[in-house]
Amino acid sequence: MGAAGSKLEKALGDQFPEGERYFGLENFGNTCYCNSVLQALYFCVPFREQLLEYYSSHKIGADAEDNLLTCLSDLFTQINSQKKKTGVIAPKRFVQRLKKQNELFRSYMHQDAHEFLNFLLNELVDILEKEDQAAKKEGETSSPSEKTVNGPKNPQANGIQKEPLVTWVHKNFQGILTNETRCLRCETVTARDEAFFDLSLDIEQNSSITSCLKNFSSTETLNAEDKFFCDKCCSLQEAQKRMKIKKPPHILVIHLKRFKYIEQLGRYKKLSYRVVFPLELKLSNTVEDADSEYSLFAVVVHVGSGPNHGHYVSLVKSHNHWLFFDDENVEMIDESAVQTFFGSAQEYSSNTDHGYILFYESLGANKS
Amino acid sequence: MINTANGMMSTSSSSANAQSPGLKTYFKTPEGRYKLHYEKTHPSSLLHYAHGKTVTQVTLAHLKDKPAPSTPTASSSSFGASTGVKSAAARWLGSGNGSRALSFVGGNGGSKSISSTSRIGSLGTSSSSTSMTNTNFDGKGTYLISNVGDAIFISDLNSQEKDPIKSIHFSNSNPVCHAFDQDAKEGHDLLIGLNSGDVYSVSLRQQLQDVGKKLVGAHHYNKDAVVALVSHGFLEVMNKDGAGDSSFSVIKDQTQFSVAHARYSKSNPIARWHVCQGSINSIAFSFDGAYLAAVGRDGYLRVFDYPKEQLVCGGKGYYGAVLCCAWSMDGKYILTGGEDDLVQVWSMEDRKVVAWGEGHNSWVSGVAFDSYWSSPNSDGTAETVMYRFGSVGQDTQLLLWDLEMDEIVVPLRRCPPGGSPTYSTGSQSSHWDNVSPLGTLQPASSIRDVPKISPVVAHRVHTEPLSGLIFTQESVLTVCQEGHIKIWMRPGIAESQSSSTETLSSSAKDKLLLPSKIGGSSYKQ
Repeated sequence: MGAAGSKLEKALGDQFPEGERYFGLENFGNTCYCNSVLQALYFCVPFREQLLEYYSSHKIGADAEDNLLTCLSDLFTQINSQKKKTGVIAPKRFVQRLKKQNELFRSYMHQDAHEFLNFLLNELVDILEKEDQAAKKEGETSSPSEKTVNGPKNPQANGIQKEPLVTWVHKNFQGILTNETRCLRCETVTARDEAFFDLSLDIEQNSSITSCLKNFSSTETLNAEDKFFCDKCCSLQEAQKRMKIKKPPHILVIHLKRFKYIEQLGRYKKLSYRVVFPLELKLSNTVEDADSEYSLFAVVVHVGSGPNHGHYVSLVKSHNHWLFFDDENVEMIDESAVQTFFGSAQEYSSNTDHGYILFYESLGANKS
Repeated sequence: MINTANGMMSTSSSSANAQSPGLKTYFKTPEGRYKLHYEKTHPSSLLHYAHGKTVTQVTLAHLKDKPAPSTPTASSSSFGASTGVKSAAARWLGSGNGSRALSFVGGNGGSKSISSTSRIGSLGTSSSSTSMTNTNFDGKGTYLISNVGDAIFISDLNSQEKDPIKSIHFSNSNPVCHAFDQDAKEGHDLLIGLNSGDVYSVSLRQQLQDVGKKLVGAHHYNKDAVVALVSHGFLEVMNKDGAGDSSFSVIKDQTQFSVAHARYSKSNPIARWHVCQGSINSIAFSFDGAYLAAVGRDGYLRVFDYPKEQLVCGGKGYYGAVLCCAWSMDGKYILTGGEDDLVQVWSMEDRKVVAWGEGHNSWVSGVAFDSYWSSPNSDGTAETVMYRFGSVGQDTQLLLWDLEMDEIVVPLRRCPPGGSPTYSTGSQSSHWDNVSPLGTLQPASSIRDVPKISPVVAHRVHTEPLSGLIFTQESVLTVCQEGHIKIWMRPGIAESQSSSTETLSSSAKDKLLLPSKIGGSSYKQ
């Protein structure tokens, strides 16, 4: 382990970024789904900075009860404050807390990295909202307002409505989709907004992310069994529906639906399709022509031919170098090596390392 | 799987069909039906090479009928180009400086194979003629040069033979690009670039004539000395007469274009152009040799005045790396294709993007103008110049496009919902009105500011991602990354077999789209 670390240091030489730490994460028995996502999140710099700040401003003591937020901020702070530049860290506290919190992740079975990411981000939001509420309770009760709270769950069990809090998790990851439905009879367009932390895209063989995004936003006709209830016509009508991105997120997380339920087989199957992803991306399926450019900074890769077993690794871009994280091991790779994770053009191929979750960061080109 | 609906399959195309199930052996265009005529492949035993490491490129080589050089052992020279060579273009540039100039692009091909670091000593190339029937080969005709794995294959364009007639294996490195120049001096007309950074110049005729002949020896470099100089984004200009190893001064500013010349005229490379940061993916000379276009990882197209060694113009694509580029015969337009799935048409007159072609579902890996195509309205009545071009992509599709520049229509600007047509901030559209000054690069255009065109034909031609296409007088050639080549005969060329009556009237089973006008605006309001 130490030798591997020094090898990476040697490879980077005096180009080793100042203050940066490249640490592998120990695997506690099938926790690679967790490790791969944690590495991607750690190298999501604005997110990391928030967690480090959270740690230092909250002075997490031994008395306070652990939650995933404190455990994550503790882990990130631990990595960040290592004396050595490279090495291995055991995310023990975090994994213990995760298993305690959610029985889904308690077993030693192979887990889905995307499910974990989704769970983690929503959990962090819940904790931040609770904290905010606790802080507000000391003051006054907030005025009720009607608006959907983002994320799948509303943590407020006591029914108290509150202003939706825009946490730093939202600021980093949240985008807003608008679901436009146009009634083909009265031409009325109904738009419904939906917040998201990541986009789950259907994939096709020999396609690109650009093309998958295009399909995601393509117009779909609702007819026959699947008609739309138009409020204006007060009846079921044929309609056209499309999803567009109303507010692009700062960190765009794209999840490729590589695990598909095959009805004939009665089980999930992994799609090894070749889906190319560029290192720079623009979203053209936005409501307004945003033209803001994104840059790829992390890829969670699923290794293996089936959905119920395999391994997760991650590719991370840090200070213009690409790194390969495989649990304890960290290696430097060439930028061009990213393309070996696109998938395979044939169904049966020895190549089973496929890009699964892509992390793009907006270059913030808010052109004026 | 033999397509019986066609009813007139030749033996070659039916076997070709068997190899690619589910793919049609023809596609329809407004001018008629293109038919799969020949298919070129290679011994499948060679397919076990590391998957995806090298991408097959094809070069068309037309050998003139002339006697072979009397000294068949003429030495070829090798040039060290730092990291892997990624692209090659050959052009005879007249006798301006008395020497033929060839250029190669040294890019980071991502192929840091073990062999490239340990390749000191023997050259280790061997070649073999796979077909004994070709021993009395006369060395005339048109040939296809393709690289697959560690080999260069040479096939006869006009024969039904699927297997190559000749293969040259490189034991230490993989060939990644090649270029052919039939007017090359001493018959050293074929250039082969390896991912180790070496460049060979050989005689194709000689290779074809001598069965089992080894690739002749080459000079060696102390590679470390070369590597020390190198970063990405270099373009090296080779002088074939030179032999030695040139040294260049270190690049001071990585972001700026610069050219360094060798200290001695007889050494190679004679010049090193620092073009951009990141690799150069493709280069192309204009047909008169005056201009050189280069595209690369940084997403820019750059056009240089080649003799003057000056940047003329260029601009950034929509997003992502640009992978390929090609000139129109008249030098007025440049096509580029890349990771934004778009085919871009660049006008040299306007020094700007004039159209974006939407139609590929993945990266665009090859573009070419069809210089043999004559537009249906070219009977003198219409003044409009029309261009036909093609593109291939990693989506396994071949697309054909028509471009009618004089018919640029003002499209309705898409309005933001609920608003009247508004211009973006104005900064984007302002540069459309005035030609940008010489030597400046333009930023990426906004998606709604560039006129869009749609393909005339979209056809899935291979099962693997495609890597290139070539137009010939009789056909269109497509090649996939794995090295399979298909030759599609133009309508009417497919000799006696074709029943020409059905070609035009046949209802579009293929994706037959309307020929598109440029759906763009002139922005001169």
